[in-house]
Amino acid sequence: MKKNVVYSLMLVFLASIMLTACGGGEDKNTITFWTPLTGDDGAYMDQLIKDYNATNPEIKVKHVITADMYTKISTVLNSGKGVPDLAIIHADRVPGFVKQGVLEPMTTVLESQPEINKDNYLPQAWATGTIDGTQYTVPLDIHSNTMYYNKDLLKKYNVESFLDDDVVTIDEMLSLQGKLDEGDYVVNDALLGWVVLAQIQNLGGDIQQDGKPAVNTEAMKQAFTEIKKVADAGLMTPFGEDGYLMFQSGNVFFSTDGTWSSTAHAAVEGLNFDVTNIYSTTADKFTNRASSHLFAMLKNDKRSDEKEQGIGAFLEFIRENSMEWAKAGQIVASKQVIEDPEYSNYMQSFFTSNEKEIESLYIYTYEYYPYVAEAVDTYAADIVRGNVDLDETLQTMQKFVEDKIAEGSKGTE
Amino acid sequence: MVKKISISKYLAYLFLIVLCVIWAVPVLFGITTSFRSQAEVVSSGFRLLPVNWIMDNYTTILGNTSTAPILRWLMNSLFIATAHTFLVIVVISLTGYGYSRMNFKGRDTLFFTLLGISFFPGVVNLIPSYKIIDALGWVNTAWAMIIPGLAGMGNIFLVRQFMKGIPNELDESARVDGAGDFKIYASVILPLIKPVLIVCGLFSFIGSWNDFLWPVIVYTDVDKMPVTAGLLLLQDIYGNYRMIGQLMGSAILAMIPTFILFLFAQKHFLQSINLNSGIKG
Amino acid sequence: MNKKSFTPYFFVGPHLILFAIFILLPTIYGIYASFTQWNLMNDPVWVGFDNYKTILFNSDSTFYTQFKNGLKNTLLFVVLTVPILIVIPLMIAVALEHKKVKMKGFMQSILYIPGLISISAAALIWSLIFNKQLGITGNIFGSTVAWAANQPYAWITIIVLTIWGGVGGNMIIYRASINGVSKDLYEAAEIDGAGPIRKFSSITLPSIRFPLIYTFVMTTAGAFNVFGQPLMMTDGGPRQSTHVLMMYIRQLAFGHGESIAGMASAMAVLLGLVILVISALQYYVMNRNAS
Repeated sequence: MKKNVVYSLMLVFLASIMLTACGGGEDKNTITFWTPLTGDDGAYMDQLIKDYNATNPEIKVKHVITADMYTKISTVLNSGKGVPDLAIIHADRVPGFVKQGVLEPMTTVLESQPEINKDNYLPQAWATGTIDGTQYTVPLDIHSNTMYYNKDLLKKYNVESFLDDDVVTIDEMLSLQGKLDEGDYVVNDALLGWVVLAQIQNLGGDIQQDGKPAVNTEAMKQAFTEIKKVADAGLMTPFGEDGYLMFQSGNVFFSTDGTWSSTAHAAVEGLNFDVTNIYSTTADKFTNRASSHLFAMLKNDKRSDEKEQGIGAFLEFIRENSMEWAKAGQIVASKQVIEDPEYSNYMQSFFTSNEKEIESLYIYTYEYYPYVAEAVDTYAADIVRGNVDLDETLQTMQKFVEDKIAEGSKGTE
Repeated sequence: MVKKISISKYLAYLFLIVLCVIWAVPVLFGITTSFRSQAEVVSSGFRLLPVNWIMDNYTTILGNTSTAPILRWLMNSLFIATAHTFLVIVVISLTGYGYSRMNFKGRDTLFFTLLGISFFPGVVNLIPSYKIIDALGWVNTAWAMIIPGLAGMGNIFLVRQFMKGIPNELDESARVDGAGDFKIYASVILPLIKPVLIVCGLFSFIGSWNDFLWPVIVYTDVDKMPVTAGLLLLQDIYGNYRMIGQLMGSAILAMIPTFILFLFAQKHFLQSINLNSGIKG
Repeated sequence: MNKKSFTPYFFVGPHLILFAIFILLPTIYGIYASFTQWNLMNDPVWVGFDNYKTILFNSDSTFYTQFKNGLKNTLLFVVLTVPILIVIPLMIAVALEHKKVKMKGFMQSILYIPGLISISAAALIWSLIFNKQLGITGNIFGSTVAWAANQPYAWITIIVLTIWGGVGGNMIIYRASINGVSKDLYEAAEIDGAGPIRKFSSITLPSIRFPLIYTFVMTTAGAFNVFGQPLMMTDGGPRQSTHVLMMYIRQLAFGHGESIAGMASAMAVLLGLVILVISALQYYVMNRNAS
């Protein structure tokens, strides 16, 4: 009896170790491509890759979708094994990754593919990958904060004129004060932090000064004060209510969410909507705070030159054929795609319909932008709803960002 | 006397029924929501039952076989959770016996040290854990899911606590009959702790089934993933619940196997074991 | 006789090896990381006790305020949920043990199901229920408050979700334990004329004291690690009054900006120490009373 138990246990452990001895090696003839594109986005990317592999390239692409890609990137970079050949990262990660030395420049790729250059992509999408004159990324898209509007509601209240100049101002929204039926609201608080960051641009401010974070500024204060007016007037969906769902149920004029939501709104029967720019503090300027999905190569000594050539070929294919990606609701970065008449069928083509629109897509490239955004997101709702003192909170936010930066820089000194 | 029992009976019923209703309404609401369209989900007013029952949410989930092979994921999960549960039962019953009924120097100190260490929240531990799995060659394999969880202290603590409740006279009388530790473990203690082992098995199975942080890190192959990690791939990048009915539908599909297991286990963890009569006999 | 001294290792040895590899090593690394400045990507840089000094003593620092606020909210969560997570399951188990009660399996299943639902789906169900336009609180009970954004409602939503999903586990442990109590004891007590309360306090409770200690210690330790429920129900608001420590820790380590994993580890170690002290106290007090 005694022996049986011991033997069976040992057997289990031995079996478990032996069965796993055969680990998977890295394939020389496949480009392992990691993306954080879950949901339908992943399916569109899958289709693009399937199309590419169908062209019989020398090196095929294998798409790996990961739900928690950045944590996973940390784990593989630490263990040094299993680093993907190509990945899609977000614009706000680029400066940090470059500083930490984990991105490989795209130099070889660009040399082999002359068409992959600055002029063939939306300028700000390309520029986010340029650091000190070196190109680290190639853009797939711009995804932006956008304002959806409920056509029926605008008509009901006879305020379709708000849209005339493509910019809805805070004053225009305030003009509705006291005129709404109960349960109707002018705007929701979806992605409120992004809206705040857009107003900073509209007000001519910035989030940095000489490389130092500038959160406690006049522009920030004014941005919050202006947005707070809307909430104070009772025109914003109530604090703690799901404004996104309220827009879908048809009770809200404007929803300040993202390009990617258009497919979801379209799935709601009876919701008659279209898209415009994020509301602004002034009629003279409008900004849509944006980010970008970028192709990047994480540091990996084992990546052969042939593979980099293969990556180049794949990126060139994407540049020419990423119309599929427009289905995801994103603003495709390749000019060849957005200049194709077919692209105008997509709602988001609004944002590339003229120069002024293209300029309105603003991507923050400040090194510590993620910390600033985190501070804004943490405190924005409470400020706008008047739960906290504005001046005091701006100081806290400034300190929040400075403390985080101080922790980050200690190691690199 | 009879009256007393009936009062307590009604009190027990009242308490249970009220609780069951409170507990069941959200479950039913969740289930029925998986049969609602997004337009209905967001339309004002509370309705427990959908106005229009639709299957679209389920057909979408099950139809997406290329990026989301959900049946395959269910099979993977079934294998992982079953293997894990089986090994857990072996390990915890042995270890629990060791820490409660064997005498060796520093036994309790060792036990409480291990328990204490296991209380430290693992946050950045993810990185070294991954390195260990990598060194063992277990990345992208089921072993990464099956083995590490066996080191946990929770179930061992529970088994130990249960074993402490078993009178020592039992072992002693067996020892007098010439039985060794393995014999006592296998033929005296194991049968007595069967209910708690079933409870631990149930918890381990559900825990392994519902774990989603770790599998996301150790798997890269979509086909090999367990169902909870796989379902995360269906949500959109921003973690938003764009399609509420679909999210509910996938959560319900994922819990069917664990629920069946629960119904099965329920019959077994309540076996009557009469400790006192055991001593007498 | 020599043989005997090795037998314990056959019992505890295999687990000891597993523990050393999969828990001890990573934990040691986590503690080491708490003495470093680390961004998860590069090699950690040793900074000695700097992180701890900042968190515990530098009252100007954001990390000091975060730790203090996070720990306060976590403690509040523990105090609010743990007693309920012990008492309600115990009451359920006792009620289900009643001889005359029928449909035990059915009721038990209903109470256990929420524990099987994934946290994201569970949080979504309750968010909809607490939603003013779409849910029960607004439409049936006429509440006009946005629950997630106002106290004490924000805490109530979190606690309701936690209790709803968490009652099943302890209920089953109590069911299995009470079932193991000899029926003879109850019969003898009934002959002596003991009522249900006397039977509970003088037979049931003492008989399940060891499992009771277990549930108390483990439920508390689990509650200290709370993270998902406040994240999904309130996102820490309003005014960070439901922002628990584990949320701050995870934001530091896995937020969008460069990871501040050293500071996060130090907070995790401090949280671990708090859990350790409290659970040791619980065990000590309950075990002494039990024996």
